[in-house]
Amino acid sequence: MNTRGILAVALVTAAAGLSGCYEDADVTVHEPGKYKGAADPLLSQQASAREEALAKRFQIVQTDR
Amino acid sequence: MARMKFLCDAERCIECNACVVACKNENSVPWGVNRRRVVVLDDGVPGEKSISVACMHCTDAPCAAVCPVDCFYTTEDGIVLHDKDLCIGCGYCFYACPFGAPQYPQKEAFGVRGKMDKCTFCAGGPPADNSDAEYKKYGRNRIAEGKLPLCAEFCSTKALLGGDGDMIADIYRKRVLKRGGRPQTWGWETAYKAS
Repeated sequence: MNTRGILAVALVTAAAGLSGCYEDADVTVHEPGKYKGAADPLLSQQASAREEALAKRFQIVQTDR
Repeated sequence: MARMKFLCDAERCIECNACVVACKNENSVPWGVNRRRVVVLDDGVPGEKSISVACMHCTDAPCAAVCPVDCFYTTEDGIVLHDKDLCIGCGYCFYACPFGAPQYPQKEAFGVRGKMDKCTFCAGGPPADNSDAEYKKYGRNRIAEGKLPLCAEFCSTKALLGGDGDMIADIYRKRVLKRGGRPQTWGWETAYKAS
């Protein structure tokens, strides 16, 4: 094989080798799985039903004096 | 829809630890487990600040994302809870949580972990509301009673606020405006200050 042939093979090998060095910059985001535990009675209630009571409680107890 | 959140105002926290005591007492938290703790920044240095930290009930909770048994769930109003019957105490959630909220009671020798325990926003867990089973495993369910977490309600300086995020943000914004500027407990000046 002449010098040009060796050079071509080396270039192809280098290109193929370097292409393996590519790193995906995208972040892998793991989504939470579907809850597999027992049902919470709090989940069956409408949060809007307790919203008013909790807001009232907040006004009584936690607002600045 | 309200989203339940905690906020600790570092300008008001006096490191009295009443929130920690209130939490432990209300929920009968076992020895060695702290659902809430007070962290002091620049302890002993003039201008030191304290903040009370527990589970922040993240909107996109990393603990739930890494749980191999999918024992986490989020209520409609944003409270992150878990099922202890399903939890295997693997500790992944502890590594994922940026606040160090998940705690594990040590059950045996050689550091064998028990089921994970964390702040429930005083909302209990899967068993029937305010049943003995719920109280033993998760503590008091004050949310079902129309009350807010005791740690926040107990705070004498109103540094720790817990409730609807919008209401809390409104109070905090007014405080910052009254003080005349943004606190530098966190932020650029703290991150890049000469040590």
